[in-house]
Amino acid sequence: MSSKWMRWLPAAIVPAVVVTAAVAIPATAGAAPTLPEKSADEVLAMIADSTGVAFSGTLEQRSDLGLPDIPTTPGSSELPTGALEFLTGSHTVRAFVGDSSSVRLQVLDDMAERDVIINGDELWLYDSDPNEAVHVTLPEGTTAAIDAHAGGDAYPGYTGPRTPAEVATRLIEAIDPSTSVSVATTALVAGRSVYQLSLDPKSSETLVDGVTLSVDSETGLPLRVEVTAVGQDDPAVSLGFSAIDFSAPDASLFDFSPPAGATVTEKPIDPEALERRLSKHSAAHGALDAPHPTDPNEDHLAKHLPGVDAAGAEGAPAVYGSGWDAVVALPAMPDAAFPMGTDAGGTPASAAETAQLLEQLTTDVEGGRVLSTALVTVLITDDGRIFAGAVPVERLQAAAAGALER
Amino acid sequence: MPSDPSRASAPAIRTSGLGLFASEVRVLFARRRTWALLAALAAVPVLIAIAIRLSSDGDARGGGPPFLGSITQNGLFVALTGLAVSIPLFLPLTIGVVAGDTIAGEANLGTLRYLLVAPVARVRLLIVKFAVAALFCFAATLTIVLAGTAIGAALFPVGPVPLLSGDTIGVGEYALRALLLAAYVAVSLLGLSAVGLFISTLTTVPVGAMAATIVLAAVSQILGALPQLEWLHPWLFSHHWFGFADLMRQPISFGTFGDNALLQLGYIAVFGALAYGRFATKDILS
Repeated sequence: MSSKWMRWLPAAIVPAVVVTAAVAIPATAGAAPTLPEKSADEVLAMIADSTGVAFSGTLEQRSDLGLPDIPTTPGSSELPTGALEFLTGSHTVRAFVGDSSSVRLQVLDDMAERDVIINGDELWLYDSDPNEAVHVTLPEGTTAAIDAHAGGDAYPGYTGPRTPAEVATRLIEAIDPSTSVSVATTALVAGRSVYQLSLDPKSSETLVDGVTLSVDSETGLPLRVEVTAVGQDDPAVSLGFSAIDFSAPDASLFDFSPPAGATVTEKPIDPEALERRLSKHSAAHGALDAPHPTDPNEDHLAKHLPGVDAAGAEGAPAVYGSGWDAVVALPAMPDAAFPMGTDAGGTPASAAETAQLLEQLTTDVEGGRVLSTALVTVLITDDGRIFAGAVPVERLQAAAAGALER
Repeated sequence: MPSDPSRASAPAIRTSGLGLFASEVRVLFARRRTWALLAALAAVPVLIAIAIRLSSDGDARGGGPPFLGSITQNGLFVALTGLAVSIPLFLPLTIGVVAGDTIAGEANLGTLRYLLVAPVARVRLLIVKFAVAALFCFAATLTIVLAGTAIGAALFPVGPVPLLSGDTIGVGEYALRALLLAAYVAVSLLGLSAVGLFISTLTTVPVGAMAATIVLAAVSQILGALPQLEWLHPWLFSHHWFGFADLMRQPISFGTFGDNALLQLGYIAVFGALAYGRFATKDILS
C-alpha cells in the first residue's frame, strides 16, 4: 500500500535533514574573506596598536598534547594535577576587557567558576568551588604598566588561560632570527575576518611545526593562537575566540566584591618584585642568559608549570642553545622531587601521589624517565636533573650527556 | 482508568486542536498518578532541606551535589540543589511515566479508538499528546523550584544570592533566574518526551513504554559519562542537562540555553517524525 509508505516519508526525511544541517552548518562557516594585502611587519604593527581595544568575548582553549588521560579535578589544590589541567582537555573562558585597567576573565567550569578581575589598582581572584577570594591592592604607579596585552605575570597567583592577545604578545616578543614570520592567508575567526600570521621555526630540531596568529583585520586584536606540532594536522594547542563583540562591557562587571561567606585572603604585594617582573617581561629577550626559557612556546608552557617557573626564579636553570630548539636544564633537586610536586598555591603534594602521577605520565628511556608530549619533552635523569624543551628526546639526552653548547 | 472523570465527557470539543489540548490537560491533572509524581518531586528539595537543617553543624562543602554547601547561608539554594539532584533520575523517571503513557496508555485502556472516531487527525492527536507531556515537564521543574524555595525560606535565612561568578544579586532578580532555570531544565527534558512519545506508539503496554523511556534516559547519561565516546556526546539528549549552571553566572550566559534548545528541537523533529510514521500507519485495534 503506497500511501502507507508515504506516511513514513517524514520519518525518513526529517532525521536526514536534521543530521545534515547539524553537520554541514558548522563546516561551511569558514570561507576565507578577501582583504587588502599586508606584510608581516604591518600586521605586527596592527597588533601593537590594538592595545586598549575594548571587547567581550568567549574563548575556547583546546589542548591535544597526546598526554594520557589524567584524573583532573578543576580547582583542586590538593593534587599536583592543578597545573596540568590546562595542558589537557578544553576550557571555555569568558573575557571582558574595558580598557587597560579593567579586565575580567571567567573560567567556566562545571557548576563552578574561577574569576580574575582587575579594576584599576585592585585585583581579585575568585574561585566559586571553595568560595575563596584573594584580594591584591596593586601599588601605585604599576597600574599603567599592567595592560591586558602584557597580561601574564600581571595576575599573581592565577594559573588559568589568558586571552590570545596576551599569548600573542609574548610570542611576538620572543621572535628572534630563528623564526621566519609571514602572512599566510586570511580566514574567519568568530565571524571576523583575520590575517593569519605564521611564525615558523627555522630549526628542524624542534617539535613545533609552527604557530599561527589570527589577527582581526579591523582592530588588530589577536583572536586566535594555534600551535601545531610536527606531524600533526590539528593544532596541539589552540586558544581562540568563538564569539567576540567589540563594544565596551558594562562597567559594573569590573566592580567586584566577594559574596558574603567567602573566605577572603588579603595578599600584600611586594612592589619591587612586581616591578622586577614587569621589567623582566619587557626586557630584551632572546639573550642566552635570560632567566627564563627563550623558546616562546616553552615560555608559555612554563607559566603553566609553576614548578619550572619557581626554579627559574632562583636563576639556576641553564639554557642550551636558543630559539625554538633550546633546552632548559634544572639542576638536581635536593630530594629529586618532580617540579610539578608543588602546585601554584605552594601546597606540597603528597609524595605518593606525585610518584604515582610520575609513573603514569613518564616512560623509561636510556638515562632516565621521559615525559613526552606532542610539543614538549621533559627528561628526568636518574641523578635528578631535569631537561625540558620543545625538542625530541634525543636532543635532551644529548644535553644531559653534555654534548650541547651552553 | 475507569475513574477518569473527563475521559468519557465531551467528544464534541475534541474536534478543534485547542479543545483537544484543554481536555487532555484536564485528563492529565485529574489523575491521581500525576499528583503523586509531582508530590514525589516536591519531596526531593524538602528532604534535602530537612536533612541539612537537622545536621546543621556546618560545612557540607567539598562533597555532595552542587550548591549543597551554600544552603545553610541562603535557603534559596535549596531549589537549585533540588533541581541538580532530580535531573539524573527523578525527573527522567516522571517524564518517562507521562510520555510513555501518551499513546500506549490510551491503546491499553481501549480509548484510542474512540479518540480517533471523533474527527481528530492522527497527527493532531500526536501533537496534542506531545504538548501535554511538554506541559508536564514544565510543571515538574516548577514544582521542584517552588517547593525548594518554600522549604528553604522556611528553614534557612534568605538574602541576596551569590552567583558562581562571585557577584551577588537581589532576591527579585534571583526569582527571575530561578524561573529561567526551571524553564531550562524543562526544555532539556523535551527530547526525552519525544523519545517517550515515539516508544509509546510502538506498543499497547504502557508500562513497557515507560520503562523503555526511562532506560534510554539512563543509557544516554552513561554514554555521556564515557570519555571514549566523546565524539558522540554532543548528540545525546542528556548532553546539556547540567548546563543550567550557565544561568548562574554574571553576566548571564544564554549560549548553553540556545544550544540545548536546538538539540532538543532536533530530537523533537526526529522522534516526532518517527512517531508520526508509526502512528499514521498503525492499525488501531484498541
